[in-house]
Amino acid sequence: MANIVEVNNLKKRYKDLEAVKGVHFAVGESEIFGFLGPNGAGKSTTINMLSTINKPTSGEATINGFHVVSEKNKVRESIGLIFQESTLDEKLTANENLLLHCRFYKVPKEKREERIQEVLEIVDLSDKRKQIVETFSGGMKRRLEIARGLLHYPRVLFLDEPTVGLDPQTRNHIWEYILRLKKKTGITIFLTTHYMDEAEICDRVAVMDHGEVIALDTPDALKTDVGGDIIEIRTADNYQAKTEIESNYHVDVKEADDVLTFQVNRGSEFLVQFVREFSVEILTVNLRRPTLNDVFLHLTGREIREETASKKGRGH
Amino acid sequence: MEAVFAVWQRDVIKFFRDKARLLGSFAMPFMFLILFGSGISGAMQAMLGGDSGGGALADFDFVEFMFPGIIGMTVFNTAIFSALSVVQDKEFGYMREILVSPMSRVSIAIGKVLGGTTVAVIQGLMMLVFVPFIGVSISFIMILQLIPTMFLVAFTISAIGLLIASLLKTAQGFQMVIQILLFPMLFLSGALFPLNGLPVWMDIIVKINPLTYSVDMFKDIILDPETMSAPLRQAMGLDIEVFGHVITFLEEAVVVGAIGAVFVVLATIRFSKTEA
Repeated sequence: MANIVEVNNLKKRYKDLEAVKGVHFAVGESEIFGFLGPNGAGKSTTINMLSTINKPTSGEATINGFHVVSEKNKVRESIGLIFQESTLDEKLTANENLLLHCRFYKVPKEKREERIQEVLEIVDLSDKRKQIVETFSGGMKRRLEIARGLLHYPRVLFLDEPTVGLDPQTRNHIWEYILRLKKKTGITIFLTTHYMDEAEICDRVAVMDHGEVIALDTPDALKTDVGGDIIEIRTADNYQAKTEIESNYHVDVKEADDVLTFQVNRGSEFLVQFVREFSVEILTVNLRRPTLNDVFLHLTGREIREETASKKGRGH
Repeated sequence: MEAVFAVWQRDVIKFFRDKARLLGSFAMPFMFLILFGSGISGAMQAMLGGDSGGGALADFDFVEFMFPGIIGMTVFNTAIFSALSVVQDKEFGYMREILVSPMSRVSIAIGKVLGGTTVAVIQGLMMLVFVPFIGVSISFIMILQLIPTMFLVAFTISAIGLLIASLLKTAQGFQMVIQILLFPMLFLSGALFPLNGLPVWMDIIVKINPLTYSVDMFKDIILDPETMSAPLRQAMGLDIEVFGHVITFLEEAVVVGAIGAVFVVLATIRFSKTEA
């Protein structure tokens, strides 16, 4: 598989902040590649460098074989971009937004009509073509943006937090469209998200934290690395329980929101014995397969959600 | 070229779509022309020639005098505020869609200036609906002269607007800067009253104000000063002297065009530095 995106020791430094500290990775053709990490991890900065919006401080990156600094326009023609915030002209109709995009990207006149129909079909907006965008719901606007990003047949579609601010149902729909799109066109999709469940659809995930890629693999492999199943318990005395688990089973116990979490192999068998033996009163118990959230927790000792919700952050 | 057209087209579509703005654009000229102009006209006539009239200035009709100025004001307003869209696009995100496309920044800037120019010319022509109410006569030839003149003026002002818009990040900031610029430029252009017997410092401002020459061009076309008596021309402030030389229509066009050329270059350079 040829690499459509290649990134080599890419760095971005703002005055006293090193936002991206030299990242390396490559994305293969037709891959869904995900950037996962908390807000401020450097995901958007990296995407901005790859999409020619920000100039890298040092390092190199190519997209579709074009250099992101010296061949900006070639790169711009090769990519579609969906930003976190809407960039539609809401006073115009869906059709007008798409037509302008065709002009901006020099889509040949005779192909415009066909392509507009095609992309609207992908996102199920064919019947809304003549409507003013202002009247669209949040999800419809997002879909229209995705459609617009496809008009010039980019080789890579960048989606920066494509479902932020949408309700869960709409979020699911957006992902269905994205998957459908990939199946239909074979386009390479490069996305960032801080929603764990969303990263699951990626072929490969790069976990980013503090400007560095700290792990890069398929979601399954990342989860396997966490090691075994996850047991979550709440007890009457978490402190006592934590000490006891750590000394009896030699595992690392993490505490968050009153819940103790640790990993064991062959969880089902372990749990039966554990509940029988344990001396502290157990209030609730839960056994599950690891998620990408556990991957992040395992790698950094923090949960992604903590940082999103409050900057205080525990355990770090 | 395609890019310039696309950026231009967007501004023109939006101009015609915004009915409230279209209608509202008549409000200011109406107030100045009909309420203020007609009101002050009587008083002016009394002062200049007396009711019983006679004298060289009996023909001074203030509303007529103001009309070319109002056209100038409208073109000026529309052109400079068209650049507001640049700031709004930055605020609402559309600027990113524009800036991450392969279009050159120069084409975008030119498209924006031409968009503002076009809209201002249309808006200026719309002011001709007041003609039947104020007693000036407009011929077809005059309209043919007005259009390129308006275009030239609007182009220059749009370029100034784009330069200001490229320097600012918020619509509020832009509006404030424009308000501060707008009134001195308008008052010291001869659009609203004849500029006679001004103190030297004011006269200097008048002479460096591009709007002065713009308004005078509109007056030249609409008022037909050739047919006026010299004292009346003088009272209306139609003979603008620069270093003792009465400036001609063609010279005015060159001055306005040159100012426009300078600003369009500055605005384009500045706009090209915009970060997405």
